[in-house]
Amino acid sequence: MNREHSQQSGPTSPLSGAVMVIGGGISGMQSALDLANAGFKVYLVESSPAIGGKMAQLDKTFPTNDCSMCIVSPKLVEVGRHLNIELLTWSEVTGLTGEAGNFTATIKSHARYVDIGKCTGCGACELACPVTQISYFPQELPEGEKKKGSREKRTIRGPGSPLPQRLHPWTFEVAAEKCSKCGSCFRACLHGAIKWEKGGVAGVIADKCTGCGACFVACPEKFSAVTIADAPEIDRGLGAAIVARSEALKKEMAGRDERNCIRCGLCAMTCRKVMRIGALKMVAEGIEASLDTCQVCGACVSVCPVSFLAIDQVTNRTPQPLYNTFNEGLNLRHPVNILYPQAVPRVPVIDEASCVHLNTGACGICRSVCGPGAIDYGLKGGEREVRVGSVVFAPGFEVFDAKRRGEFGYGHYKNVVTSIEFERLLSASGPTSGTVQRPGDGRHPKKIAWIQCVGSRDHSCDRDYCSSVCCMYATKEAYIAREHDSAIEPTIFYIDMRSFGKNFDAYVERAKERNIRFVRAMVSRVFEDPQTGDLELRYVDGSGWRVTENFDMVVLSVGVQIAARTRELATTLGIELDRYGFAVSQDFTPLAASRPGIYVSGVINGPKDIPETVIEASGAALAASAGLAPARGTEVTVEALPAERVPEAGEELRIGVFVCHCGTNIASVVDVAAVAEYARSLPGVVYAGHPLYTCSQDSQESIRAIISEHRLNRLVVAACSPSTHEPLFMSTLRQAGINKYFFDMANIRDQCSWVHPNDPAMATEKSRRLVRMTVANASQAEPLAELEFDVNPGLLVIGGGVAGMTAAVEAARQGFTVSLIERQPTLGGQVQHLGRSWGGQDFSRYLLELKEQVESNERIRVFLNSEVVEHSGFVGAFSTDIMTPTGALRTIAHGAIIVATGAEEARPDLHGLGTADRVMTQTDFEARLLGGRDMVPGHVVMLQCAGSRATVQQASYSEPDTGTPCDTSATTAVTQAHLPYCSRVCCNQAVKNALHLKEINPTARIDILYRDMRTYGLGELHYQKARRLGINFIRFDPEENPPEIEVEDREIRVAVRDPSIGRKVSLAPDLLVLSTGMKPRDTEELASMLRVPRNSNGFFIEAHAKLRPVDLPSEGLFMAGTVHAPKDVSETIAQAQAAVARAAILLSKKNLRLSGVVSRVDPTHCAVCLTCVRACPYGVPFINAEHTAEINPALCQGCGICVAECPAKAITLGRYQDINLKAKIRSYAQAKPEAITVEESHDG
Amino acid sequence: MLEAFENGADGVMVIGCLEGDCHYLAGNIRARARVARVAKILESIRIGGDRIRMFNLSAGEGAKFAAYVNEFVGRIRELGPSSINIVRKNAA
Repeated sequence: MNREHSQQSGPTSPLSGAVMVIGGGISGMQSALDLANAGFKVYLVESSPAIGGKMAQLDKTFPTNDCSMCIVSPKLVEVGRHLNIELLTWSEVTGLTGEAGNFTATIKSHARYVDIGKCTGCGACELACPVTQISYFPQELPEGEKKKGSREKRTIRGPGSPLPQRLHPWTFEVAAEKCSKCGSCFRACLHGAIKWEKGGVAGVIADKCTGCGACFVACPEKFSAVTIADAPEIDRGLGAAIVARSEALKKEMAGRDERNCIRCGLCAMTCRKVMRIGALKMVAEGIEASLDTCQVCGACVSVCPVSFLAIDQVTNRTPQPLYNTFNEGLNLRHPVNILYPQAVPRVPVIDEASCVHLNTGACGICRSVCGPGAIDYGLKGGEREVRVGSVVFAPGFEVFDAKRRGEFGYGHYKNVVTSIEFERLLSASGPTSGTVQRPGDGRHPKKIAWIQCVGSRDHSCDRDYCSSVCCMYATKEAYIAREHDSAIEPTIFYIDMRSFGKNFDAYVERAKERNIRFVRAMVSRVFEDPQTGDLELRYVDGSGWRVTENFDMVVLSVGVQIAARTRELATTLGIELDRYGFAVSQDFTPLAASRPGIYVSGVINGPKDIPETVIEASGAALAASAGLAPARGTEVTVEALPAERVPEAGEELRIGVFVCHCGTNIASVVDVAAVAEYARSLPGVVYAGHPLYTCSQDSQESIRAIISEHRLNRLVVAACSPSTHEPLFMSTLRQAGINKYFFDMANIRDQCSWVHPNDPAMATEKSRRLVRMTVANASQAEPLAELEFDVNPGLLVIGGGVAGMTAAVEAARQGFTVSLIERQPTLGGQVQHLGRSWGGQDFSRYLLELKEQVESNERIRVFLNSEVVEHSGFVGAFSTDIMTPTGALRTIAHGAIIVATGAEEARPDLHGLGTADRVMTQTDFEARLLGGRDMVPGHVVMLQCAGSRATVQQASYSEPDTGTPCDTSATTAVTQAHLPYCSRVCCNQAVKNALHLKEINPTARIDILYRDMRTYGLGELHYQKARRLGINFIRFDPEENPPEIEVEDREIRVAVRDPSIGRKVSLAPDLLVLSTGMKPRDTEELASMLRVPRNSNGFFIEAHAKLRPVDLPSEGLFMAGTVHAPKDVSETIAQAQAAVARAAILLSKKNLRLSGVVSRVDPTHCAVCLTCVRACPYGVPFINAEHTAEINPALCQGCGICVAECPAKAITLGRYQDINLKAKIRSYAQAKPEAITVEESHDG
Repeated sequence: MLEAFENGADGVMVIGCLEGDCHYLAGNIRARARVARVAKILESIRIGGDRIRMFNLSAGEGAKFAAYVNEFVGRIRELGPSSINIVRKNAA
């Protein structure tokens, strides 16, 4: 019976252990890594030629100003080299059949025309390709018809006559046996260098020949009697030789102000012999162009060494420039193109629309210059089917087409750019290498205006939603622009400043301190001064006056939108999108799309920033793997590392040093070439280089090649912070077969170039010293062995609110055992006090279902009325003591922790809250609304930011009801009770409650007093609905225009100036509802037990603000929900799923490897004095049976206290031994000027 | 720490986490005691105990770090080169 049953349900539809992730941006990459690291095979499908997405295009990221490329680059590399992620770039999903657990996806890959297996990413093809335009390819002529001659010709002249220059000359000869004696060459030669008589064979007179090749061009194709000699690269082909000569001539001519034709003949030879067009001819005055036969490919312009030719001169057709889409069209690209320098895979794609060879069969230069032979014009695209258990859909976004807002002149006025174009202008690897220039004339702009909400919050172009990120990215762009050029005066024109995320308000305040001007106004028109290119902006200021102001440049803060292609793809996948293209999902399953088995993350799920996207990506990975847990590990392969080479005794030091440019982050201050040169002179260094981005994929490959070529046995990188990049380089070293502890890093960015931007000479000197000390340390390095130990698959969840319960349920679904600890007697947390969600779903029913799931799950143990009292152990093997209600201690062994202690509504002592009946918080009001019609008032005033977003000066605004100016002690007391940050959820909660009230009592009057309505994302739709329903929104300014509120027993009086009508209004509401914000629960003791940091507001600090938003800084600890920062229920659920995804990576492993940096006791020196036993803060050392001290390496935290305390010096700590420190100190000492002089003379 | 003076340092700053915030629990308290001991040794060998000082900072306090460094460097400049360096210079 059993066997029959398993035959029916088992093999017919077995679960697949693979997941398809669609979209290779930060979201898709994070999902792919989380899934692959947790034992699932991943197919990552990306429609563009390389992964990276929008994040790779950004310059810096808010609110930390981290360099976007620097933080995303390690992810690109990790995805690119992950054994269990199969990258399918330049590919699209064309079909999806089957059902959750067992889908079959059809993936169509476009032809790349470059063999990924052979390409080394050297970029030679891109450098050689002369084409820069989309050509008008000649039509194939019908049989028998002859090619028509040109009718329109133009002679292109320079300021003077052509000056033939015999530089890098080629030798032309006539092959007598091939010569047809036609005399074409004789007529073409402008220098009388051909001897020919009618009926005779032609010949070249060598001493008259200037090497222009006119004879070669003129000789008819079918005879090809003129041959070329002495031309470098000619064996690869004529095209390759032309490119090589062009490069050589360009170098020669650089710096010479030559605007006349130098009659090198490269243009005419390219046109006739490479492109097979023949539209150019050398004539006495210059170059004669056949305007109507030109195919407008741009090759002649590219090969011209002196910029004599311009594309619009050689043709009368409209050129169709081939814009670089990665740089947002700010510069041109070639048909063969690597998407961006750090691209993964770093393999070009040949564009079918513009490649001359693919269209006419001519050219073929790229193939002839490709060393590895990777270019193959015959390659075809393909289609394949893969079987996957679920799908993560993370297609990302495109920016709004700013041309649709014609009043700003985008597309017509050259100095009006979009915000993403401005990102590229700021970027070190962008078209201007990071200098802020106007696209119109290259001038450095002084006054720059940002116009917010272009394609956001705009009903007229069907973009009603708020794009959530623009206020912050505009502030960041203004901030960074001023960092690049302090003369820039930025102004940001905005409606509401929506800096609602963690530490965002503080960032905006910092921007204000840096002279960034914020003007609350909608710009109505932009006019260009056609002569100067300057721009005139018109707007109405805060007092209602019309203002005209001039700017040098305008940046349009374009919103995000879902691409038409994404909508088509959603149809293919069978998932439902809303009218704006965002995926339809439910409030309590925020990451599940409408079709089971498909999960969504990132902007497809509503506009959002990078950390929220990363949270959703991890959450979607978890949701996608939940149903596949039994198939975990069935489709993965395990990495085979080369055997580690054991260093021989007395082996000579062979140190390799890489000094990173970090784009311009380091190189703009530090002379990296000089530092590398200096490193080469240091003892033991046999190689030193200075790559642009040392952390990029291509650099890892070249480092591995250099290690083997130079037989390196130590690696030193001088770049950024080891805390972010050390693991990457260590892994590269290990892959080269060398123990990873033979690596060391000098931080010349965070600790040098960023600190000393104004003193390049001294910064370079400091970098030299840092490199010298690091090299000295590396010289003393020893190989360390890493310990492997078992992982306990249990998870401890602290906090039984929505976050904690969701985490528990999800972890149990993944097959892990969970201990859920709650301080209170019931589960549920803050959400118990809330009514219903945005989508109108009932929280109490949801909580009931969730509780039921928690309580009925046999893998989950719930401990109510319990608290953590003691915590020890290490990642994979923690031990936590909890105090249960009986007073008994219980020890729980587990492998990871999720902290979900949550937050509660703040209840500041404001306006009689807590004493007056008719003053309440939003949550109180929400509960009251559930009471039905009898409980609801007729007139409500809501006060936003009541006790939130307060600074010391602003805090006093809440005191006018005392009638007297408050004294300082009162202000201080008030300040302490106030929250300095924005609680993110209050604006949405106020709108939700107001709408609910209107639903119950449509005649109710509601006035919402606000500072900035922060109804971000799709919340904007509710805000607009509220305005339509007549809910009154009155803006106040806590400093200039604070509301006056008097609360008495029977009456509430509110007076405030309404800026929209310019008058004071007096209100006498039945209820005063305060939006008081959220404050974290008391976690001081817990944080110190877990040894994790919290910020000054009491929220836990994540391991990285952008890319590790659910990880705590200590390994094995994660967080979810409002313990991280204020957020709503859907966001909390997503983060709880994300936290489980991160924990699952650990818990799904049977064993983990621990750092080799641990203390070891040398028993022969141990005097058994017990000093180490007493000194160790973790109680690790003990005295063993052999009567010496022993340290368990699995428990050792590597702090080194015992090493320092041991009187017999019997304990050592790998990497931090006395010899290491001494080597560094001595090396530092050599930094005295006299020592440098000696070394410099040694250099010379 | 003494090795640094031997190698020609005129002053040494030791920087640890804020007290109570040490990743390794009490490591910074121990370090403080150790610095105090070294200061005593420096005093007794007439190099001067105020040439070494322990500071406590969190990773987010860049500006404070710079202020501490400037303050300490200013203090050491007032004190002038350490006696080890004076003797060595004279010997050279």
